[in-house]
Amino acid sequence: MNRRDRALTALDHREPDIVPIWELGVDPPHVEAITGKQWITSSKGTTLDKRGVERHNADLMVECYNKLGFVMIRAAPSDPDDWKPQRFPDGTFTDEWGRIRMYDPRTKSTIPFRTLIKTPEDFEAMPFPDVHAPGRLHGIEYIVKQAKKEMAVAAEVRAPFATAWEMFGVTGFCQILHEKPQFIRKVIEKMTEFNIELIKMVVDAGADMIVSNGDIAEKNGPMVSPRYFSEIFLPNMKRERDTANRKGVKFVKHTDGDLNPIMEGLANTVDGLHSLDPSANMDIALIKKKYGKRLVLMGNVSVDKLCRGTKEEIVKDTRECIRVVAPGGGYFLNSSNTWYADAKLENCMVMVETGRKLGKYPIKL
Amino acid sequence: MKAQSALKDVERGIVDLVTSDEIRARVKMALDAKADPMDIIGGVRKALDEVGERYEKKEFFLMELIVAGNLATDIMNMLKPRLKAGASSSRGRVVIGTVQGDLHDIGKNLVAAMLTSLGYEVTDLGVDTKPERFVEAVKNEKPRVVAMSCLLTVGLPYMKTTIDALKAAGLRDKVKTIVGGRPVTKDYAKEIGADAYGSDATEAVKIISGWEGKGR
Repeated sequence: MNRRDRALTALDHREPDIVPIWELGVDPPHVEAITGKQWITSSKGTTLDKRGVERHNADLMVECYNKLGFVMIRAAPSDPDDWKPQRFPDGTFTDEWGRIRMYDPRTKSTIPFRTLIKTPEDFEAMPFPDVHAPGRLHGIEYIVKQAKKEMAVAAEVRAPFATAWEMFGVTGFCQILHEKPQFIRKVIEKMTEFNIELIKMVVDAGADMIVSNGDIAEKNGPMVSPRYFSEIFLPNMKRERDTANRKGVKFVKHTDGDLNPIMEGLANTVDGLHSLDPSANMDIALIKKKYGKRLVLMGNVSVDKLCRGTKEEIVKDTRECIRVVAPGGGYFLNSSNTWYADAKLENCMVMVETGRKLGKYPIKL
Repeated sequence: MKAQSALKDVERGIVDLVTSDEIRARVKMALDAKADPMDIIGGVRKALDEVGERYEKKEFFLMELIVAGNLATDIMNMLKPRLKAGASSSRGRVVIGTVQGDLHDIGKNLVAAMLTSLGYEVTDLGVDTKPERFVEAVKNEKPRVVAMSCLLTVGLPYMKTTIDALKAAGLRDKVKTIVGGRPVTKDYAKEIGADAYGSDATEAVKIISGWEGKGR
């Protein structure tokens, strides 16, 4: 059984030969350490154009995942060929959704930091991104070509909830949802239509799974009242899931935070859950017991311990994940988020080595 | 009696999360009924305490905290010009920032917004705040409290560096310090010599409010 087969078997709720191991993300400093090659953040000072940079970094990521023996790799949609961000003197710049992004030199990546879209009127005036714009699938097609023989490909489709709260800012989003829920419903429906088209396109391009990225919860619970999840967000998420299923792939939700108040609704909406943060009260053993037959589970070695814990703690957490969640299949071993730049690489490697050593099916722990 | 009832309507309006227009109308009614602005502010504080308790019990979520905070800010903005000369709604100054190495600011912004709505003067240093900026702000602003936040583990050592920098500048004994954020623990706060650890925004605000009158 090769790595790709392992991933597809686990996605199909069956037991492969060994517990499949992957990460939703590995921060560039670790990719550089593992491959010995430099991550490029900009075409400035290189002979590469923006697509060249994208392909260079995709090559590094594929090489890194191959070296780690991971079973699946994430691939994200690209900016359109003709996308030109608005750039500001402080080095920040806009993305297609009106978010202002800041470059983080430590992780060599960008994060949404501010927004241009503050009001419903701003949203109405914003040119809505065209899902079919030329170049949209550049990154996904390239990763499929480079990786699919050995690994499954998880295409990232960002959750409308997360895009919307980043687009309006957390405070603005909450206020608008409170005062004009029908407007937010309209925004979410429009973004869902975009995602439905995108899901069809990425599966046609070769994706084996959809991962819906973007947080919907924080340490204390869902970011907004459960009733809004039942009324607005989950029904639209289900439309994305149904589209993915009709195209023959699973739809897995990634999120941080405590999902318990919306867990029943979420379990009826998605095919799997990624990361299940133990520091936010997510008990993967309990979730396996209650929802393991219908949900693929991906988790949940503590990222905090990867950063600050000991080797012994990582071995203990990894062993426990395999012992309680792996039997019966439908399980991927990974951290409770991603391999942050500040995680100790030696701890990350202990997770992988322990997973290989103890994860042979049938599980006997 | 009319003023009392109007005051109660303002307080309930925050907990019931009425619209901004509605809360402004209720404040106007209270002022028309000759309610003392300081009593309205007292009601705002009580209401935010109740919202915080309901958040802890998971009856309310992040959204309700933010909406209640926005309502409280609306009220404070309405009342500012009406406060008597010499009377101040300020409960003291807090310097807050996401520490060096971290660009995440949701938790920090939430604490800042809640403190502002409770009547604190907040100096927000933003994200990726170097220890020397905290020191400079303490020298210039003379706050009662320094609050530090981080989402990523990379920020943790800088919380210690910041507290050490305050010590080196001879300012540590002049302020209370509180730390919070996803990777922070009570033990870590103790280890680096912080005065307190807030496990979430409401707890941080509660602790800071509890320091009132006991400041250094």
